[in-house]
Amino acid sequence: MKQTRIFPKVALDMFVIQLVWTGGFLGIMFLINIVKLIIAGVQGNEVEGYFNTIFIAGNIYMLIIGLLSIHFLSHYVGNGVTRKDYFIGSFLASIGIAIILPIFTILISSLEKFVLNLANISTKVQTINEVDIDENIIGDIVQSILISPYIDPQNNWMMAISLLALNLYINYLMGWLISSSFYRFDVMAGIGFILIALNFKMLKDTLLRISLDLPVPGWFSWLDFLPSGMALIGVFIIILVTVWFIRLLTKRIAIKM
Amino acid sequence: MNVKAEKVQLKYGKDFALKDISFELSGEKIYGLLGRNGAGKTSLLSILASFREPSSGTITINGDIPFENAKVMQQVAFLYNKDYKEESDNVIDMLEDIQRYRPNFDKNYAEYLVDRFKLDRKKPIKKFSKGMQSSLNVIMGLASRAPVTIFDEVYLGMDAPSRDIFYRELLEDQGKHPRIIIMSTHLVSEMDYLFDEVMIINQGTILLQEEIDKLLAKGATITGNEDLVNDFASNKKQINMQELGTTKSVTIYGELSDDEREAALESGLDLAPVSLHELFIHLTEEEN
Repeated sequence: MKQTRIFPKVALDMFVIQLVWTGGFLGIMFLINIVKLIIAGVQGNEVEGYFNTIFIAGNIYMLIIGLLSIHFLSHYVGNGVTRKDYFIGSFLASIGIAIILPIFTILISSLEKFVLNLANISTKVQTINEVDIDENIIGDIVQSILISPYIDPQNNWMMAISLLALNLYINYLMGWLISSSFYRFDVMAGIGFILIALNFKMLKDTLLRISLDLPVPGWFSWLDFLPSGMALIGVFIIILVTVWFIRLLTKRIAIKM
Repeated sequence: MNVKAEKVQLKYGKDFALKDISFELSGEKIYGLLGRNGAGKTSLLSILASFREPSSGTITINGDIPFENAKVMQQVAFLYNKDYKEESDNVIDMLEDIQRYRPNFDKNYAEYLVDRFKLDRKKPIKKFSKGMQSSLNVIMGLASRAPVTIFDEVYLGMDAPSRDIFYRELLEDQGKHPRIIIMSTHLVSEMDYLFDEVMIINQGTILLQEEIDKLLAKGATITGNEDLVNDFASNKKQINMQELGTTKSVTIYGELSDDEREAALESGLDLAPVSLHELFIHLTEEEN
C-alpha cells in the first residue's frame, strides 16, 4: 500500500494554527496603533505607521512562536508522526508565516496610509537604520533582537516586504533553535544555544546591512570588506546552518512525557 | 502483527532503566504488562512507541525498527497519563486533529465513546477533571484502532464506573477489531480478566511472559498441617509463606502434576488457586 506523505498535513496544520495566532497578533497591534494614532492626533504629533510598529514588535512575536514550535513535536510523535515529518512540516509552515505576515502588514499599512492622507495627518520619518551604537554589550544584544536592517515600504515595497520576511524568519529560527536545545539538553546547554542564536542574528543583521549598503555597526563590523552579493549569500548560509542545527537537535530527540 | 524485543537496554546516565529485555508478542491479544513502580514499564513502552531509542538492542514491529519509520509509527498508538493543562481545544477538535494522522481512526465510534463517558463536547480539555482527561485518552486509544495500541496506566483518576466502561468497550472493540493491545497497570486484581497474556517486568528485566491461564495454573496455595505442607512444598519454588500455630500456608510457583494434586488432597492438604494479583506481589517481592 502506498504510504501517503505526512509532512504536508503537518505543514498545513502548523501553518493554520500559527496563522490564527498571527491574526490575533496583527489585530491587537492594529488596535494599539489606532490608540496611538488617536493620542498623536489629539496631541498634534506625527504618528508612527503600522508597518514600522510591526517591524519592531514582529521580531519578538516571531521569536515567541519559534520558541513554541518545539511543543508541537511531542503532539506529533504522540500521533505517530516521525520527527522528520514534524521538522519538514514545521519548517514549511514557518516560511509561510514569515511570508504572509509582512504581506498582511503592508496591506493594513497601505490602508492606514490612505486614511491618514485623507485626514491630512503626516507619519513620522523613520530612522531605524541610524541607531546609535555604543560599546555597551547589553545594549548591543537588546538592539540586535529588536532592530534589524530596514527599508521604508514607500521607497520599495517589494524589498521592504522581503526584508521584513527575512528578519522575521531569522527570529522564528532563533526561537526554534533555542527551544530545541532546551528540550534536548539541560539549562546550561540551552543558555549556550541562546548565545549562538544571538550571534547568528547579529551576524545576519551585519551581512544584510553590508548587502544593502547601510551603516555597519556592532561586533561583526569587520566583515564590511565583503562584497554585497557575498554578504547576501552569507545570510542564506546562516539560515541553512540554523535549520541544520535544529534538525540535528531534533533528529533523534527523546520525547518528554 | 508481531512485536519483538531483543536484548534491549536503556540507560539514563549510569543507571539502567532496562537491563536486558527480550520478548515476542505475536497475535492480536490483550497483553498485561505488570511491574512495580520504577520497574521500567513506561521506559519499555516509550521505546515501542518511538518516543525514544534504546541504548542498545533492537525492537521491531513486523520486522521493521519503528523509530523514525513513518509506516510503522502510524500503526502504534501510545496513550499515557498526559498533562493537558495547556490544551484549550475541545474534545471534538482534538479528535478531528487525531483523525488526520491515524489511518484507521473511526470518528463515529469516537463520538459514541464521548457520549458513553459523558464528556462535555464544548469544554476546553484543560478544564476537564483528571478522570475525564483519562477517559479522553481511552477514547483516542480505542478509536484510533492502531494495530499496536498501548495503554500505560491510562485509567489514573478515572472513577470505578468509568473504568468499567473502559474495560467493557475494550473487550467489545477488541472482539470486532482485534489488534495487539498492551496494558500496563497496577490495578492487577481489577483488570486480570482482560488479559490474554501477561508479562511481568521487574528491575528492568522481564521476569516472566505467559498466557494467563497457564500462569495461573502454575500458582497454588497449599494449606494444612505444618509438617505435611513442608514435606509437600520442600522441592517447590515457594513465593510466600504464612503460619498460624501448627497450620501453615505456602504459595508455590510451578507446574503441579495431577498425581501431585491428588496426593496433596489425599494427605489432607488444601489446595487453592492463586490470583494474578497475589502472584504479581509475591514474585516481584521475592525478586526484590
